[in-house]
Amino acid sequence: MNRLSALTRLNKKGLDLSSLRELGILIAFVLILAVLMILSPNAFARPSNFINILKQASINGILATGMMYVIISGGIDLSVGSIVALTGVVSASFAHPGEYPLVVPILLSAVIGTLIGLLNGAGVAYGSIPPFIVTLGSMTIVRGLALIAAHGSPVFNVTKAYEALAGGFLFDTIPHLVVYFLVVTVICAFVLTKTVFGRRVYAIGGNEVAARVSGINVNRMKLAVYSLSGFLAGMAGLLLASRTVSGNPTSGQSYELDAIAAVIIGGVSMTGGSGKWYGTVIGALLIAVIGNGLDILNVSSHFQLLIKGSIIVIAVLLDIKGKARQT
Amino acid sequence: MKKDRVFALVMAIVLIAAVLMAGCSPQPAASPEPKPAKYGLFMSHMTNAFTIELSDAVKAKAAELGVALTVYDGGNDAAKQLGQVETAINEGISAIIIEPVSVDGIIPAIEQAKKANIPVVTVNQNISKPELVTSFVGVSHVEGGSLEMTTAMEALGGKGNIAILDGPMGSDAQIGRDEGYSQVMAKYPDAKVVFQQTANWKTDEALKLVENWLQTGTEINAIVAENDGMALGALKAVEDAKLLDKIKIYGLDATPDALAAVKDGRLAATVSQSTTEQGTKAMEAAYKIVNGEKVDAQIMVGHTLITSANVDQFIK
Repeated sequence: MNRLSALTRLNKKGLDLSSLRELGILIAFVLILAVLMILSPNAFARPSNFINILKQASINGILATGMMYVIISGGIDLSVGSIVALTGVVSASFAHPGEYPLVVPILLSAVIGTLIGLLNGAGVAYGSIPPFIVTLGSMTIVRGLALIAAHGSPVFNVTKAYEALAGGFLFDTIPHLVVYFLVVTVICAFVLTKTVFGRRVYAIGGNEVAARVSGINVNRMKLAVYSLSGFLAGMAGLLLASRTVSGNPTSGQSYELDAIAAVIIGGVSMTGGSGKWYGTVIGALLIAVIGNGLDILNVSSHFQLLIKGSIIVIAVLLDIKGKARQT
Repeated sequence: MKKDRVFALVMAIVLIAAVLMAGCSPQPAASPEPKPAKYGLFMSHMTNAFTIELSDAVKAKAAELGVALTVYDGGNDAAKQLGQVETAINEGISAIIIEPVSVDGIIPAIEQAKKANIPVVTVNQNISKPELVTSFVGVSHVEGGSLEMTTAMEALGGKGNIAILDGPMGSDAQIGRDEGYSQVMAKYPDAKVVFQQTANWKTDEALKLVENWLQTGTEINAIVAENDGMALGALKAVEDAKLLDKIKIYGLDATPDALAAVKDGRLAATVSQSTTEQGTKAMEAAYKIVNGEKVDAQIMVGHTLITSANVDQFIK
């Protein structure tokens, strides 16, 4: 009944109980920001550092947006980190000076990412394999493909235009990465909240049987959701390779976990059917803020893992408590 | 349920195609003579330019000597590598060439090899009980780190602020290079380390880390990285901040992309640890031992400093 109520709640406009949860995350986010600004007024609190944080949140934010769709639909996608590596390697291989126009590596990243997502979706929908297992398999396969494609070592020597994809700045101040993150967020948030498609994503995650009975083509929805996640991972791979000016077959390792962490911190339920897009944005920003702040304070990366992990657990704890209060 | 079957069929076809493709790639030819010598190369992993160059050198030397060589990829997993060595011992391997994942974790397998009278040659990274090993072929990481830091210090005139990018904490190379750095820094009291953090050999981690360091406004005069992958990440961050005229960047490994950056004058220097020579000498040593010749317990290969002055000799 709890899941069904999530479904009906969506039809009502305006503030509902679940937004308290995102409010809690927002307060935690502001609190952490404030603490870091007090601890480091001259470095962390500088405007240029906020742009830097947005830039560092962008790739994870794009991955997290795709992940959010998958998790709301009741699934999980572990393959995105490997897709980042594969599309990074392939796109960099087609971006050597004087070989192919820039559109080739871009299209290849999009097509490869989408295709892998489509296969994930097919495994989940038509193979009836649990999403965790399908994407665990494809995560391993795609990592293998990335290493094969790169012959085990990084691909470098790319065109200036390719480098500028992620490395450039809009109006000389805003990094391109931030612009992409913004565009992806706006489009995906719109689709999720204002379209039939978005409502169906919630519906199949909330109660698959009910969704099927009410005439939603659940299998086709799953194909679409995993394809979207794959497509965004492909874009993230292209952008990461552009940002590091090389396609590295070992890059993107554990990126899927950061993406999942952003989604969870943002209050999206792992059981599917509920969650807000802005929660995910805050989650991605929070992860970037913690990493950036602790680097600036010169805290050892080993302690950073400890702090990041604790925040994830606390976020989920809030999630569970919040749910308990609702029922 | 028909869709289930179609999906299973598609997966089966993909699998068969993959196996066929793998089967068509060249395999080491088995020699027809009875009980031919079989060599095994156990790599810690096969996922960066360094390990690929090293294993390629061993393979090339084995081909030149006309001996059978099997390459095992330890996947950076100490337990996996242990199992690979144990299996190879049971299959009656003639000699083991190993780049260990863990300096301690591999000891049980090496002891087993010793009991079975199978010679062991460690390459690039030694193990914590070197007396078990017939021969070690490699470099002194202390020397490599020392050469890199000395170059940086001389360029800065012995004073300034240094930021250090470490490899994964606890690896043989990280410990050695850090010691080399410290030895040099001790000679220059006017220079100080303002940041030191691990980026786990990774370009993207180093990029993020250096971006954040630059945000602190702390003056940095040089960034010294324990490998080229991290140096290139630092380079990108410094270039984005338009500070390349103020911050010199140093790497180590002489990977092709780092050499290109040295040639363009963007990377101040890199240090070659003569990777190909290490691989060639390791295979050579194993071959000699199997054929009853004596080899030195330690075969050391030197480091070479690469700057814009001599980079052209190293670009292939």
